[in-house]
Amino acid sequence: RLASRSLPRGQASVSYAQSLLGAPETQLTALDNGLRVASEDTGHATCTVGLWIGAGSRYENERNNGTGFFLEHMAFKGTKKHTQTALEQQVESMGAHLSAYTSREHTAYYMKTLAKDLPKAVELLSEVVQSCSLNEAEIEQQRGVVLRELEEVESNLQEVCLDLLHATAYQGTPLGQSVMGPSSTASVIKSGLNLTRQDLVEYINIHYKAPRMVLAAAGGVNHEELVGLAKSHMSGVSFEYEGDVVPVLSPCRFTGSDIRMRDDALPLAHVAIAVEGASASSPDIVPLMVANAVIGSYDLTYGGGKHLSSRLARIAVEDKLCHSFQAFSSSYSDTGLLGIYFVSDKHHIDDMMHWSQNAWMNLCTTVTESDVARGRNALKASLVGQLNGTTPICDEIGRHVLNYGRRVPLAEWNARIDAVTPSVLRDVCSKYIYDKCPAVVGVGPIEQLTDYNRIRSAMYWLRF
Amino acid sequence: MNIRVSFWLKTNRMATHMSKCRTWNRVHRFGIAAYRKYSSSGSGYPNISLSTPLPGIPKPVFASVDGQEKYETKITTLENGLKIASQNKFGQFCTVGILINSGSRHEAKYPSGIAQFLEKLAFSSTAQYGSKDEILLTLEKHGGICDCQTSRDTTMYAVSAEVKGLDTVVSLLSDAVLQPRLLDEEIEMTKMAVRFELEDLNMRPDPEPLLTEMIHAAAYRGNTVGLPRFCPADNVDKLDKTVLHSYLRNYYRPERMVLAGVGIEHEQLVDSARKYLLDAKPVWGTSPAANVDLSVAQYTGGIVKMEKDMSDVSLGPTPIPELTHIMIGLESCSFLEDDFIPFAVLNMMMGGGGSFSAGGPGKGMFTRLYLNVLNRHHWMYNATSYHHSYEDSGLLCIHASADPRQVREMVEIITREFIQMGGSAGEMELERAKTQLKSMLMMNLESRPVIFEDVGRQVLSTGKRKLPHELCHLISSVTASDIKKVTTKMLRSKPAVAALGDLTELPSYEHIQAALSSKDGRLPRIYRLFR
Repeated sequence: RLASRSLPRGQASVSYAQSLLGAPETQLTALDNGLRVASEDTGHATCTVGLWIGAGSRYENERNNGTGFFLEHMAFKGTKKHTQTALEQQVESMGAHLSAYTSREHTAYYMKTLAKDLPKAVELLSEVVQSCSLNEAEIEQQRGVVLRELEEVESNLQEVCLDLLHATAYQGTPLGQSVMGPSSTASVIKSGLNLTRQDLVEYINIHYKAPRMVLAAAGGVNHEELVGLAKSHMSGVSFEYEGDVVPVLSPCRFTGSDIRMRDDALPLAHVAIAVEGASASSPDIVPLMVANAVIGSYDLTYGGGKHLSSRLARIAVEDKLCHSFQAFSSSYSDTGLLGIYFVSDKHHIDDMMHWSQNAWMNLCTTVTESDVARGRNALKASLVGQLNGTTPICDEIGRHVLNYGRRVPLAEWNARIDAVTPSVLRDVCSKYIYDKCPAVVGVGPIEQLTDYNRIRSAMYWLRF
Repeated sequence: MNIRVSFWLKTNRMATHMSKCRTWNRVHRFGIAAYRKYSSSGSGYPNISLSTPLPGIPKPVFASVDGQEKYETKITTLENGLKIASQNKFGQFCTVGILINSGSRHEAKYPSGIAQFLEKLAFSSTAQYGSKDEILLTLEKHGGICDCQTSRDTTMYAVSAEVKGLDTVVSLLSDAVLQPRLLDEEIEMTKMAVRFELEDLNMRPDPEPLLTEMIHAAAYRGNTVGLPRFCPADNVDKLDKTVLHSYLRNYYRPERMVLAGVGIEHEQLVDSARKYLLDAKPVWGTSPAANVDLSVAQYTGGIVKMEKDMSDVSLGPTPIPELTHIMIGLESCSFLEDDFIPFAVLNMMMGGGGSFSAGGPGKGMFTRLYLNVLNRHHWMYNATSYHHSYEDSGLLCIHASADPRQVREMVEIITREFIQMGGSAGEMELERAKTQLKSMLMMNLESRPVIFEDVGRQVLSTGKRKLPHELCHLISSVTASDIKKVTTKMLRSKPAVAALGDLTELPSYEHIQAALSSKDGRLPRIYRLFR
């Protein structure tokens, strides 16, 4: 036991290499019906346990877009064994938090609770997912709630911008759909909000299958106990598809394009530019993450003045080009987006776009060893630093098992990150960024946003 | 036709010839670099999908972690009065920082706003580090980040980094706290950042920070915690290096500081502290403290109003309805007293939130403000209970917001809720509140920075730390009569009221006071001659 070892003076408690290898293990077991159970015992007095399901808006079509999101709203409104009030009172009396989220390829239902309440938590979660009551009156009421949430999201311009980015980059394919369903600026009366109980039941029957589910837990949990609970509550989850309705993910093509929503009444312009990136399990994802760490992020309230480590941030501060920017990457099972998102006032959009693309070109051509070293360190620190608490760890376990079939240990992340040298970074970035057609989105007072052809021509340099 | 073909052939030949020349020139001058290689499998980079484990990594040896939560917090005091506290926790990252008993409450004899300035100026250039960039570069080598937060009574400088960088981190902290250069250009940038933050506060639709300022100003008129936490707009230009130094001379003294660390060994922390903090000479000199403000917070009660046009506060295309916000508070107790835990349970029992949604099961949908207020009066947008507690006093307040025409009804509902707090709490309700409080405490303490803050604050104010399971025990032993006792005491204090927005229907302060001293909490009837 590490804690009881006597330590020589002048040495840190545990060396970095030791602690990477010595982190608690993530154990993975599969049940007979294909459901996977994964957990990490961190010794906390609390735990987070949840079900991660490989279903999302990507599996929906034009007619039923928004079903997954609607289902998330309906999930906590009663099951066959507990009415809504009984379920809520149970959770409240346990002092637990029950939450859920839906994304394009994943859906998660999870509960944060004290470690001693694990059995009750697994029981409630299995009920929520398998025997949701879905009564008609509640469906009608939730329709109104979802509509109101759609309206609220309209005022979150960052969400709007990134949703539009997906809509244009993956236009005509299921990835282009928004998770919440067709937005209210489109026509709300069409599809989405006309979902019926039948649609929801169909969705569950087709997508909530055991091989696509992971029961993940982190905190003071014992793996054997968790497997036992899973066997008793979730052995009944079906693993067979009825008839021929096996959902196959068709490839989603990326289209270089742009969408501009000009509205001069808004104070700030939100702009995003992205190229097609690497898929979640591709080995290229690691150099691309390092590349994003090199570009970094910035916000006006950082207060660092022009002494920030990212070059783009320094330029942004010196010339007051933007209020904030961040380099982002989203990856899906067979494709991904790699981009830069920034918020600026209407007089600096052109300059900010020029320097963002300049940062990309720099990555493809002249990135230096010190930049890459900085990016590697920052990425390592953020990967470990995010695992602060049982919920982020549990979330990572769930997503990793769905994406990679296993939890990638920290030591492996470290090795992969260390293998990224400047020449590797240049090669990988050139593969994805150099001379590629980007997808561009602008929302707000975007008169100054550069014309698409000029943006396209800034994706290569004539110096080589 | 023929001419065109031959022309095409000629140009083609010419083009090939030219490109050959160019390539040859290039090879001659720059080496073979005429095209871009796009393969990512060259140069020894592992081209293996993330779904397969990388070969060549030694099989990890996993540790078992149990029982470490019960470790005591170790505390040492150095000769100059500086306290050092550490909590052992497994992991390769640690959080270390300095907490100082200094905040906006100590600014009585200075222009207000020093706390906000110091927060923005933190980790700028120091004696050893020429600029913030150098500090960040040094930290990046150890995968670290740094942050400073000031509040009404505490200032926290914290660094999270790899454990092996402990020595560098402590030296950096000592430098940043005791030897900041406070250059003119840094102070100029800070003034800009502060002005921007003040503008942002006023523009935001969410009135929380403004209301918190106002309720403190109302409850503690003109003293200690009632002093503004955000720099008033006219003070931004009054603060400069001399003022800051005279403040720092009085308040950044070793006996008012705690060096706290989570995830490191106590002996190493003490060694580093002796090296860098024991005899460190601060840049503002070591003259004895002349003007230290030791005043105790005086709860006065009172009302602070701000008429503001809230009809168009939305920043996006969807309009937000016009709302008037009120906050009504009463005196609770300091966190050092025994009554603090019953007050925390009471706050949890009141709960509340936004009327749209609690946020799902577990976020307080069965608390009193939801059951009695938001679920019954759908025109209320928000009713939330807050508890602020300092080392000598505390404030329990309820924030509510609604349409300006229903302000009077809203105030009455809140005053009635306050009176009902004095009735006996239901058994299930009380149990639920206690479990939720314990659960929230344990969930928050999963995170290392939160543990750091908890260790630091407790040692700063009491000199020792109550471990989480001790606190859970104290919470479990709260009874309904404890709640009744603290509520009766609270209802005897003078109310503090803050109001923001269109205030035409707001009842007068005397009426609110009468309601809170009455048996049922109703506002006195007003008779209007002219309707």
